[in-house]
Amino acid sequence: MTNEIWVLCKIKDGQPTRTSKQMLNAAGALAAEKDLAPVKIVLGGEPYEATRHLAALGQLIDSRGKPWAILAGAGANDLELMPRLAARLRTGYAGSVVGLRWEGDRLAAKRPVYGGRAYEEIAFVQTPALVTVRPGAFSQPGELDPPETMGMETVAIDVSQSPGPVVLEQEATASTAEDLSEAPRVVAGGRGMGTAGNFKLIEELADALGAAVGASRAVVDAGWRPHDEQVGKSGKTICPELYIACGISGAIHHVLGMNTAKVVVAINTDPEAPIFKNADYGLVGDALKVVPALTQALKQSLNKE
Amino acid sequence: MGLKIVVLVKQVPDHEAIIQVKSATELDIEDRYVCSFYDEIAMEAALSIKKEHPDTELTALSAGGRRAVDALRRAVAMGIDLVERVGDEPLDSAESLQVAEALATRLKEHRPDLVLCGKLAGHDDQAAVGPMVAEFLGIPHMSAVVSLKVDPAGRKARAGRQVEEGVWTIESDLPLLVSTEKGLAEPHIPVVTRVMKAMQAKIENFPAQIESKESVRRIGYLPPPSRPEVLLMTKEFPDNVAELVGRLQETGALS
Repeated sequence: MTNEIWVLCKIKDGQPTRTSKQMLNAAGALAAEKDLAPVKIVLGGEPYEATRHLAALGQLIDSRGKPWAILAGAGANDLELMPRLAARLRTGYAGSVVGLRWEGDRLAAKRPVYGGRAYEEIAFVQTPALVTVRPGAFSQPGELDPPETMGMETVAIDVSQSPGPVVLEQEATASTAEDLSEAPRVVAGGRGMGTAGNFKLIEELADALGAAVGASRAVVDAGWRPHDEQVGKSGKTICPELYIACGISGAIHHVLGMNTAKVVVAINTDPEAPIFKNADYGLVGDALKVVPALTQALKQSLNKE
Repeated sequence: MGLKIVVLVKQVPDHEAIIQVKSATELDIEDRYVCSFYDEIAMEAALSIKKEHPDTELTALSAGGRRAVDALRRAVAMGIDLVERVGDEPLDSAESLQVAEALATRLKEHRPDLVLCGKLAGHDDQAAVGPMVAEFLGIPHMSAVVSLKVDPAGRKARAGRQVEEGVWTIESDLPLLVSTEKGLAEPHIPVVTRVMKAMQAKIENFPAQIESKESVRRIGYLPPPSRPEVLLMTKEFPDNVAELVGRLQETGALS
């Protein structure tokens, strides 16, 4: 057993991702309360493959000792890795965690259940506590960079040698230029956009804001947008700082994917649409008219700043 | 010798079921349970593998009490050959690690070439049982799979995994565990005659064998976050757009 809390960081363009930074800050705060040391772990070795990354993490635990906790982002790869590690170590696992605190000497995690219709708080009885964090959920004002002094361990992983599954091809989907679950701002469109072609208006507003594009289930099912843009149950659950829902009625399965966003704006023709019950700011009007006007207005106001 | 595929299935509240926090220790869950959406995708994927390779045996396995029975009846109705239930009511509320161990212990008897399961079940939303089962079995696994091709002769499978950046094509030897993402298959609705037949199906039950100790303990339930009443823009278009921008500037959401 070491006196450490590990954070598995995802590095993009040489920088920890937004979620990684948030986890590092959270780990730093938790560690400070108990005189533990936060350690930044970077699993190096592309492409990622669960079997080998798991083996590398296992070796790191053997050589450094078991940490108190390991935090990872709830991205596709961490979601493969962390539950499996929990089974290997026969220890506790909590997924999609939105909050962490100490309950006495045990780490406690708050997480959604039943698709976010309720939340539970659990305490880890075994260590290490394995946690995947919902992307963006640990947001703090200012999103400070974690201190440089934080411990750092880069683990090189040889993905070419050992037996196991082989990644043959990594096809990037054009629409995920800005990863939806990591994006601090998201502009999403629904049936109210009228046609697939009208999503150009959503893209332009997203561009003006530096936001990612999201979509409701209805338009994904209609084939207007790819599934990886779907927000909600059976799609992505996201926690951006700003979410703008355009022509989305706000069915429960959609709301469950975005109700942890910080600031929500809803634009819809129907003042009775349930999306307005899950928004901070509402504008009753036709998204086809309002969205381009909002794009123009934002461009002007952002230029001024 | 043909392929052996086991699909892990589970009954979960319908996505429109009303679920409320009754107290710190209890949830009020409307009694509207269905087979998990992703598990039905897994069953449909198994059925299409069997269509391509007819010498395939499909088994559905579920852990828990009477709800597990319902999930398995759905499996029979969908066309799965054999069904088995492991454990009983206590497993309905057991933690992921223990459910995974119970399933894996039973799977070891089957020695399947392929295990299919949903990416997550809509109850604890942990997405953990699949990867944990793979670990207990000591076989590779791939999560969030959107395409799957099995080569029984070469004892290999090729899968497309949905990751944040796109789709990765991965090849693995069998045996393998695959958890399904939306898009892999479109579950068919079983015909009434099959549903009726499934009601009569005999479902064998096996005791759960679990060594894992309690690893997490629930402190309590909490209601979901709520938002204050929406602030509606009051001006006419296009002035309401400027009004909205003004509001967003005040919150700091644009800086």
